[in-house]
Amino acid sequence: MAQFLQQMVNGLSIGSVYALMAVGYSLVYSVMNFSNFAHGGVIMFGAYFGFYAITMLKLPFPAAFALAFIGTAVLAVIIERIAYKPLRERKAPFLYFIISAMGASIFLENIIIATIGPTFRTYPDVFGRTSIALGPVAIGRLDLIMFAVSAVCLTGLVLFVEKTKMGRAIQASAYNMKAAALMGVNTDRVVMIVFALGGMLAGIAGVFFGMKYTVYPQIGNITTKSFVAAVFGGLGSLPGAVLGSVLLGIIETLVAGYLSSQFRDLIAFVILIGVLIFRPTGIMGKTTEDKA
Amino acid sequence: MSDILEVRGLTKRFGGLAAVSEVDFSVRQGGITGLIGPNGAGKTTIFNLITGVYKVTSGTVTFEGKDITDTEPYLVADIGITRTFQNIRLFKNLTVFDNVLTACHASAGYNLADSFFRLPRFRREEKALREKTLELLTILGLEDRKDAIANGLPYGLQRRLEITRALALDPRLLLLDEPAAGMNPDETEQLMRLIGDIRNRFKLSVLVIEHHMDLVMRLCEHIVVLNFGQKLADGLPDAIRGDKRVIEAYLGGGDE
Amino acid sequence: MSSYLEGIIMLSGINLIAVLGLSLLTGFAGLFSFGHAGFMAIGAYAAAFCTTTLHLPFLVGIAVGAAMAAGSSWLIGRATLKLKGDYFCIATLGFGEAIRLILDNFQALGGARGWPGIPPATTIWNILILDVIGVILLANIVRSRHGRNMIAVREEELAAQVAGINTFKYKMMALIISAAYAGVAGGLLAHYMTFIQPKMFSMTKSTELTIIVIFGGLGSISGSVLGAFVLTFLPELLRAVDKWRLVVYGLAVIGIMIGRPRGLMGGFELTPSSMRKYVADIKSARSAKAAQKAEDATLGKDGL
Repeated sequence: MAQFLQQMVNGLSIGSVYALMAVGYSLVYSVMNFSNFAHGGVIMFGAYFGFYAITMLKLPFPAAFALAFIGTAVLAVIIERIAYKPLRERKAPFLYFIISAMGASIFLENIIIATIGPTFRTYPDVFGRTSIALGPVAIGRLDLIMFAVSAVCLTGLVLFVEKTKMGRAIQASAYNMKAAALMGVNTDRVVMIVFALGGMLAGIAGVFFGMKYTVYPQIGNITTKSFVAAVFGGLGSLPGAVLGSVLLGIIETLVAGYLSSQFRDLIAFVILIGVLIFRPTGIMGKTTEDKA
Repeated sequence: MSDILEVRGLTKRFGGLAAVSEVDFSVRQGGITGLIGPNGAGKTTIFNLITGVYKVTSGTVTFEGKDITDTEPYLVADIGITRTFQNIRLFKNLTVFDNVLTACHASAGYNLADSFFRLPRFRREEKALREKTLELLTILGLEDRKDAIANGLPYGLQRRLEITRALALDPRLLLLDEPAAGMNPDETEQLMRLIGDIRNRFKLSVLVIEHHMDLVMRLCEHIVVLNFGQKLADGLPDAIRGDKRVIEAYLGGGDE
Repeated sequence: MSSYLEGIIMLSGINLIAVLGLSLLTGFAGLFSFGHAGFMAIGAYAAAFCTTTLHLPFLVGIAVGAAMAAGSSWLIGRATLKLKGDYFCIATLGFGEAIRLILDNFQALGGARGWPGIPPATTIWNILILDVIGVILLANIVRSRHGRNMIAVREEELAAQVAGINTFKYKMMALIISAAYAGVAGGLLAHYMTFIQPKMFSMTKSTELTIIVIFGGLGSISGSVLGAFVLTFLPELLRAVDKWRLVVYGLAVIGIMIGRPRGLMGGFELTPSSMRKYVADIKSARSAKAAQKAEDATLGKDGL
């Protein structure tokens, strides 16, 4: 039983990293109706920003952390301006956006490989390796902080979206861009803010991922799992993204713990197939009909 | 004269909003029926319901006596109903010729193997498709522009091309969604004659959504008026013209 | 011809087959596949299994590989093609990764260390012959109602539907054919390298194929042909700056989408009829110019 609880906690821990990645992706998806496949690259940059902020700039963790997520927010907006905005203005087909995202993703991954190099880097031990015992389970300090920060971020995001004027503008745009524009919403600014928020979340996810595991240029590949988590929870739904991620993290960990660690990474794919066959809209998703 | 299309109790709800509510009307065989109403009255939604683009919340659509409610859009064309769109959905990057040629696909039956190996059936049927395309373009006056890219055509011709494409499927009922939008009086006049001509020539029935009152009153033999998703009036043009409720609907809050 | 040069030509030719299939899927039907190398992997391993374990002839192996790749694509298609495009992208992304993971862990097929000892049955001739057949077949599909329907789905899906086109069927058709092509390419690759390893079919390979299609031009068969050869040769020429090559590619892809989505060939297909038309256009432009000049000259003389 204790083992089971421990696995649950571990699953929750990786699930919260997935959640940060998935929510950033889902946020952009819900407003732009577009999957930003360059999201992984931004996450990876977050990991590197944080790493260099700590090791080279010798900043204390909070400052390094802030630098990382501000850096990724800016990066995300830059990518939007360069790779997507021109296509939006030309009303380019969906396919072009995906290809452009792929191009951005290739660029991001390889600029790191070309300049810094592909070797793995490890974050210095910022929080120490001690675990705190909560009854029968042990939770690493890093994990606790990760939970806490994730919870704060996600709550903050929800509050922002529900309570602030800009947040409501984002909701309106998510429902119908054109109508929102007609009602006076500055949709261009909405897009920028949405990408900045997505980038911020990506940066946070990247730093935590880097701290929990290692820093390498292909971190972006992990995002595949967050896309799956988002689909699982319901594409376009933010709570769904969180739910899907947490569930994915837990299921993955349980399978790795009780069945075989080899199949761990395949679980995401199996879940994806299951979702697509039985309930494509995901746990909390909604179906929409195309307007003619 | 029988009705080629019958719509009964047609209702469509989006969440809590009823875009169309308990609408009944019919389109007479061989006739031109107009569907009018202020913006947002639900006219395009009705088209979408008829052609299966939207699923009905309740109600039925009957075509030539058969229930076709909620048929898949691609089967609706097969059944005999084709349409144009309010915001012109041509295959923009294809030529005029290819736009129509593509739509002729249903007139051929050759399969993949025939295509792969360029078998006689392919050659024969392709030739027939091309001839049919050229014929349609000529009838509709577009053959001199057949190699132009659809996107580059003037607006009026783009609409005409969309109509041509809809005719390529040999429909018996043609749904036109605001075909005169953005046209000047001359073009509107031309369009009016064109619709009458194709109705006669191809022995079609036509249901047309329009805002140009002039066009509607002179072209349509029968008019259905919608407002806020409900049918307001239904009858001959003269009756509709004098109907107080219709006048109010348009002057009190609608456009035009 | 040096065997080095021959090797690159053979690799280009093998890439070309996979690229042709992907071109149909992405360039003509408008569907983006992230994990196309997964179909190549299935083709490669299935073909290798047929020739080494079952001792079947080479061509049978290739055909089986293609069929298995096509079959697996059918499953993906059934699950995702009726949904929004994003689902298909994510599914192919997951699929590519999953195939590699499964193969990495499947010790019976060599696992991550790979499967050596495959008979070297691929020759430059069978590659080139299959290339030619592949191009002709593709051109024949595209210039038929099946191809036109795929293009219509890409251009305006809703309009295609109301024009009677069963969009699901045609997307599926494009997917299955493209997977079959990839399967053939995989089988050929296996019997050229005589050794296969899951990481030969990673995301990097999928991305490489997609980049070729994009550079060559979406919707251009001749672009894909040109692209396959140029972009397989290029890395050899640019060995020195190899790590920057992909950086440039990434930016180039964005630039192409924004500036010239028709790619290298700009939507222009290299066919006998298009060449004739091109020459005719030049001729008529020249004579029009000459006529204009003559007219100007006479006007000038009359002092108008």
